[in-house]
Amino acid sequence: MTMTNRVIEEFKAEFKSVDITEAPYEKQGYHLSIEARTGNLLNIIDFLDKREFYIVDLFCVDYQDYLELVYFFNTHRELCRIKVTLKLDPVKPVAPTISNIYTIARWYEREVHEFFGVYFEGHPNLTYLFLHEEIGHYPLRKQHVPVPDGDKKLLNSFRPHEEENSFFINLGPQHPSTHGVLRVVLKMDGEYLISAEPVLGYLHRMHEKMAENKSYMQFLPNPARMDYPGALLFNLAYVEAVEKLCGIEVPERAKYIRTITCELNRIASHLLWLGAFPADLGALTPFMYAFDDRENILDILEDVTGSRLTYCYFRFGGLYNDINEETFIDATKRFIERMRERLVMYDKLITGNVIFINRVKNIGILEQGQAKKYGFSGPVIRSTGIPFDMRKVEPYAAYGSIDFEIPTGHIGDNMDRYMVRMKEIEISLNIIEEGIKRLPSGPFKTEKVPKKLKPPKGDIYNAVESTRGETGVYIVSDESDTPYRMRWRVPSYSNLMTFPHLSRGVLIADAIATLGSYDIVVPEIDR
Amino acid sequence: MCDTIINIVNIVGKEVVRTVIGLVGVFIVVLGNAIMLTWTERKVAGHIQRRIGPKEVGPFGLLQSFADSVKLLGKELLTPANVEKPLYFLAPTLIFVPVLVTFVVIPFDGFLQVKDINTGILVILAFSSLTVLSILIGGWGSDNKYSLIGAVRSVAQNIAYEIPLLLALLPVILMANSFSLRDIAEAQRGAWFVVYQPIAFLIFFVASVAETNRTPFDLPEAESELVAGFHTEYSGMRFSLFFLAEYTNMFIVSAIAVTFFLGGYQGPILPGVVWFFIKTYLLVFVLLWFRWTFPRVRFDQLLNFSWKILIPVSFLNLLVTGGILKL
Amino acid sequence: MGKRSFYLETKDPIIKFAVLDKILDLARANSLWPITFGLACCAIEMMCASMARFDIARFGAEVFRPSPRQADLMIVSGTVTKKMAPILVTLYEQMPSPKWVIAMGNCAISGGPFVFEGQYNLVEGVDLLVPVDIYVPGCPPRPESLLEGLMKLEEKITGTRRFPVPEPKW
Repeated sequence: MTMTNRVIEEFKAEFKSVDITEAPYEKQGYHLSIEARTGNLLNIIDFLDKREFYIVDLFCVDYQDYLELVYFFNTHRELCRIKVTLKLDPVKPVAPTISNIYTIARWYEREVHEFFGVYFEGHPNLTYLFLHEEIGHYPLRKQHVPVPDGDKKLLNSFRPHEEENSFFINLGPQHPSTHGVLRVVLKMDGEYLISAEPVLGYLHRMHEKMAENKSYMQFLPNPARMDYPGALLFNLAYVEAVEKLCGIEVPERAKYIRTITCELNRIASHLLWLGAFPADLGALTPFMYAFDDRENILDILEDVTGSRLTYCYFRFGGLYNDINEETFIDATKRFIERMRERLVMYDKLITGNVIFINRVKNIGILEQGQAKKYGFSGPVIRSTGIPFDMRKVEPYAAYGSIDFEIPTGHIGDNMDRYMVRMKEIEISLNIIEEGIKRLPSGPFKTEKVPKKLKPPKGDIYNAVESTRGETGVYIVSDESDTPYRMRWRVPSYSNLMTFPHLSRGVLIADAIATLGSYDIVVPEIDR
Repeated sequence: MCDTIINIVNIVGKEVVRTVIGLVGVFIVVLGNAIMLTWTERKVAGHIQRRIGPKEVGPFGLLQSFADSVKLLGKELLTPANVEKPLYFLAPTLIFVPVLVTFVVIPFDGFLQVKDINTGILVILAFSSLTVLSILIGGWGSDNKYSLIGAVRSVAQNIAYEIPLLLALLPVILMANSFSLRDIAEAQRGAWFVVYQPIAFLIFFVASVAETNRTPFDLPEAESELVAGFHTEYSGMRFSLFFLAEYTNMFIVSAIAVTFFLGGYQGPILPGVVWFFIKTYLLVFVLLWFRWTFPRVRFDQLLNFSWKILIPVSFLNLLVTGGILKL
Repeated sequence: MGKRSFYLETKDPIIKFAVLDKILDLARANSLWPITFGLACCAIEMMCASMARFDIARFGAEVFRPSPRQADLMIVSGTVTKKMAPILVTLYEQMPSPKWVIAMGNCAISGGPFVFEGQYNLVEGVDLLVPVDIYVPGCPPRPESLLEGLMKLEEKITGTRRFPVPEPKW
């Protein structure tokens, strides 16, 4: 019996009055939909927690007569996506908090509060996370709803108060390394950290609000700016979501080329991390070597897509233009050969270095049991030993027909995350080789896509495995040519929120090494 | 004109004149070394990283260090509002004083030495501890959390690594039977001391990397952790004084290593001075090479390495040397 | 924040030294030390410009100093949001003069692709905050564009241009 049926049976046995419907998975991207009420929300969440579901996302949609809080859940073992919705009164929306059960909900609920004005009862720290203090309204509401005067004190995002034996130090937002505009307020006792609190929002570029004002075609450049090292993968998430919503078929050749270019982009992003991570530890030379290899990939991709960094190559129904068979395949094969030799060199230079090993081994250990509470994904979860990869769990593009393995680590320390990413580069090289061998001929784009795309009414959730983890996009469409609501579930958000938990009582040098091994990109957190 | 000069020399005495000329020579060596090393470091870094480094500023980028120093001279001398003024102003000047004093006793050739003090090495070791003092003053007076952490790290690091430095030099002093640097250099006529004391050479070299705050031991100015360490609040000429002091320190520790272990200024055919400079710059090149290859060690690993490994090993080396010499 | 401030040399200094000023200008142009201030996507292209292929070190500018007190060039690469604006101004004021600002990328010039009706979090162009010397357009601009911007800054400081202007072939 599949997980879905089992959950339906047990749910109906326990909650007799609650509505649980099975949604068509191919059209909507999720399996079950549960309509909760304020009274039984916590019991439902508890039920899901006991069955090892992790929380994928928590957000809100403003249908003008009511606000709807949406929760998505999934398991690591078998794909079973469950959507739980809760309707709220638009004038004074109040909901119970689930942050006692799922720790990451603390930050998701803060975000919902500052963008929609929903109050969460029992939340430990309901202050602003992303927005600045002079903003006087809730931005993502459809009408202009000002912040009530009594709540202006909640705008105060982070004011640390000084204590006797400790001092506060700011890491960022201006960084000597490549983390971007991330600010972490560290409370220190000498060289040891007592607590670490990330402060976000320095690069909030209003992507979700832009989605409501631009048509589907006009929004295409935006996903690339969210995660710029792995831009093609975010492109893929968006394009596939819209294609599933409209029922557009993609030709086989386009699927294979999408796979090949996405894997090339994954290698480029991992190479950028490979340069930045030793630079955090003090070794400045691997930066240069890794960027050297990355330039090869950028040349190949520039030939095909036209840009070096923020690609916008996929269109609804296929690609922007076809690859030039001789130059592209030739250059890619030469690159694969060269990269295999370079990986041996990186092994000797970095992995075998005694100082590096001492800085990185047994530091920042993340246990498997935390995976459920935070919902982290990507190389972070694979390093703890759980082989969870969206390319295998929910195959998309051409991954279903290419055989590859998933690397896992053992204990989830920094060394494991490093090794998982190095192995992922090798596996990506194998996937590209396989894809080139099987590349079919044919059209690269379907002909019958209308210029002004008007998808049918409904909602859809689509997830891909981007370079940092599970990326999901949720679109609500109301038959017009602009989306009604678009929500991006980004992997760096849930990855980063384990950092306060991991950095208690460690030296500052270790905390920075751990932060580097997560490979976060701040624009995708801030959206 | 010649008569007045000869008169002055007769009045003042030959020694004083010789010392003054020596000091002028030392100044020239220090400044020339600093200027050359800034260019060399960037070129070496470039070639290790598969690129060229400074190229456009003069032929082969040779005028790059001049451009840097003139620019730093012309920068606004900014004093942040909350610094403790006496400490803040004292630190960059204080870091240069011990450096110049130690140059007085280094033998560049048989007689090219400003003053052959017979407790030469003790003078050097005593004065090089003053660099730590100036880093601490600079970090404390800057009224900035990053500078303070950097300065505190530097004090712990320097104290921990001075002991193996001294213990590694003692066997050589025992073998040469004198503290004076020229005697030690002369005592290597037969064979260089590195043949007899390889462990002491390695320990001395590693401890000197830590003393000069170079990677892999450059925690006081860890760029990715503390914004710029103890010299965060210094700008313009004051900042460049810290930098010049670091490069001159590198030269001094290499010069001491050469004098103690690698035969000083001795070598066939070419004059002693040339050999001295070749050997010293070879060791300086190794120091530069380290910076662009290794990551940084962590603070507790640094202290563990010194107290738990380097000091016992160097003690053992000293005892064994003493035992063999007695028998 | 205020109206746009284009940085024009409108007043000459009272006392001028001919040769000394020339030497100082040459020295300053040939050893511009940028501050590490990468905000968004353009920061990656700025890092590419300092890597082995494009090598900004040839012109003496590879010493990226993390502390603003030791830097003289601020390359604003990326979007400036309202939350980040006070920090940018603080950093600019901490730099000792003479200092220059390059606005790299469309977001730093005028808000870039994120300007739309009803935007609530963007500073539309960094020249609303600090005086800007050179604008380098692109989204993101290629590293060669950034190097060309550096050449133009050197021309602005010294008065003469080092390399010939690349001529288009058509």
